[in-house]
Amino acid sequence: MSDTATLSPPEVDSPPESPQAAVAPTPALPPTMPRRRELIFGTVFVTAGVAMGLLTLIGSYLAARDAAGAAWLADNQLALTQPNMQMLTLAMSVVTMQWAVWSICRDDRYHTYLALGVTMLLGIAFVNQSTFLFKEAGIAITQPEGPLFYAVTLGHLAMVIAGLVFLLLMAFRTLGGQYSSRQPDGIGAAAVFWYAGVALYAVIWFAVYIQK
Amino acid sequence: MTLTDTRSSSDTPPAAAGSLSPTALERAIGTGEHEAIGRTFIMGSLLLMALSAGALAAGALRSLSNGGPLDVTDNLWNSALVGMVLMGAIPLLLGLAICLVPLQVGSKAIAFPRAAALSLWTWLVSAVIFAISLGLDGGVGGADLEASRLGMLSMGSMMVALSLGAVCVATTVLSHRPVGMSLARVPLFSWSMLVAAPIWILTFGSTTAHVFLGQISQANAAGLALRYEAGVAWFLRAPSVYMLAIPILGISCDLVAQGCGRRIARYGTVQALIAMFGVFSFGAWTQTSGGRENILWIAFVALAAVPVLGLLGLIADTLRHRKPVVSPGLVGVLLAFLLLLGGMLAGILEALNTTGSGTLFSFEAVGLGWAQSLFLLSAAFIGGLAALSAWSRVVLRASAPGAIASAAIAAGLIGGGLLATVFLIQGLTGFGLSLSFYNVWVAVAAAVLALSALLGLMLALVTSRGHARQPATAGAAGLTLEWAQDELSPEDQALVMRTIVASPYPLLDFRFTGEAVEEDK
Repeated sequence: MSDTATLSPPEVDSPPESPQAAVAPTPALPPTMPRRRELIFGTVFVTAGVAMGLLTLIGSYLAARDAAGAAWLADNQLALTQPNMQMLTLAMSVVTMQWAVWSICRDDRYHTYLALGVTMLLGIAFVNQSTFLFKEAGIAITQPEGPLFYAVTLGHLAMVIAGLVFLLLMAFRTLGGQYSSRQPDGIGAAAVFWYAGVALYAVIWFAVYIQK
Repeated sequence: MTLTDTRSSSDTPPAAAGSLSPTALERAIGTGEHEAIGRTFIMGSLLLMALSAGALAAGALRSLSNGGPLDVTDNLWNSALVGMVLMGAIPLLLGLAICLVPLQVGSKAIAFPRAAALSLWTWLVSAVIFAISLGLDGGVGGADLEASRLGMLSMGSMMVALSLGAVCVATTVLSHRPVGMSLARVPLFSWSMLVAAPIWILTFGSTTAHVFLGQISQANAAGLALRYEAGVAWFLRAPSVYMLAIPILGISCDLVAQGCGRRIARYGTVQALIAMFGVFSFGAWTQTSGGRENILWIAFVALAAVPVLGLLGLIADTLRHRKPVVSPGLVGVLLAFLLLLGGMLAGILEALNTTGSGTLFSFEAVGLGWAQSLFLLSAAFIGGLAALSAWSRVVLRASAPGAIASAAIAAGLIGGGLLATVFLIQGLTGFGLSLSFYNVWVAVAAAVLALSALLGLMLALVTSRGHARQPATAGAAGLTLEWAQDELSPEDQALVMRTIVASPYPLLDFRFTGEAVEEDK
């Protein structure tokens, strides 16, 4: 981590507020003790910002669709097969992602790698399905619905791709021995970002595809 | 985030002498030291604040020379306001936070130091691009399409960069605290930044989405201006604009406690009030049509005054118990609080106007809205200047010259106060902005505000070059950990850092338990 070598030890239960407690020196800790949860906290904040952006885009999409009425996407076919399969794919990836978190917390490296691999495979399948859906729908960026439709869907696709890169990086770090039951933060952080991506897709799936 | 998981440059051994040693420029650009990053943020923000306020003055003079009314829909006016917020006030506070928060929580580095550096350079480059686009008749709402696109894009980049910096600060507060420093014992400036950071991140996440939409849409220049007005401009108005002042609440409490050499009473209540103000400053929901004309908006704006008044009472209580050591920083932050109260007053008046529209009151909502924004913006800027002056021995490693600090704060108060007051008067009286008198007033006020920023920059430059080194003011000893480096011997610093934190004021505890320290020695 950024400054793990020099900084103070992780938080413990606070002592009573007394003068004696105020000067009781704590034992020196190993200099390489990593900071717990730093990456998770950072990821939570970034995820919140990204989620807020996507929710704003979805809100704008719904407002524009509401204003357009029946004319919205009247010239395009948005079949539900692909969005449903995409939702199912991401739902399965939640299970495999949690499998990776569960495994690393038990130092089960074999299953961690396997779970991360399957999660990435499902993520890549989602990306593939998305490109197919875009071709099938045939929505042009120049038509009135185009910018909003692609802002929402491509924005989310970018989030999924960022999640895949995050997962890949964490998988390499796990291979390098950086994460274990003592320090599972990297996998946990990637999981937080991934779950948020899946939750946001659930909103898009319902608001954009189901409700059309 | 993961790319930042490396040691900060403060932890790296010095490079071997010879051709491989980095140049000063390479060190400046490549540093991960939070103090260097924070200082660059501060100095850059002061310079860009001066430019933005100067642009505002130029806009008012342009209206005057055209013989027309003060045009608050003009691109120069809007771009200057965006500049004062995104290039001035927020980066100033963020720079202070990047510098101070790690030290306040007893950490030698900020969380994700390379992300903090990325935040700084992205913001700086984007701010320069924004200024260039404004010069090409772009900025926000400009007439030139390509320049307007560039202006919107650079504005979005600034928002993303500032959010990234806020992520680093908030993560530092959450995960870099020493043993015993629970969240209930975090110093109040750090606490206020922990409250402000999520609000900034969520708000800028939402506005950046509109910038993204503007980029991919096929809109012309007028369409981009509409996109800005409908999707982005809300963050400059109540209640979102209150987010600028969240750190000021923490700074006020910390500086008053330090000035009085006394703990702030009811620490948990103070934290709760700051958090409450943070909640009421979340205003992304007001971007919908009619979002400013419903009961929820009235409730948010009216209730936001409650924590401010509560904190004012607790600060007054502290000042009543012990006479403070008066310094430009302390006076400045109290004046910033005064401007904050002005913003709250304008907000309550607008809420009353909305409640009794057409029956009880007939104020001008637009004028009151601008008055709120400008009061809050001025409060944030003056609070930042005051904090820079008060913490100069920590941030700039020397005592700030009192005369320059006083002049900068006074100019900021006059400029910001006048700028906000003109709209408050306009809102209350309903006089149209067609009077040329208003143009002159705004131009003068903005010019004084620009002067204040330049004086602040001078303060930072003069102090950081060490020309104003002075002994610490008697009786104004620091209470929180950021002062350890300045006030304690290396041995005592090491001892303090190994000590379990037992209250929000570890250095005060340390002074009260001197006997025990002697035994340890």
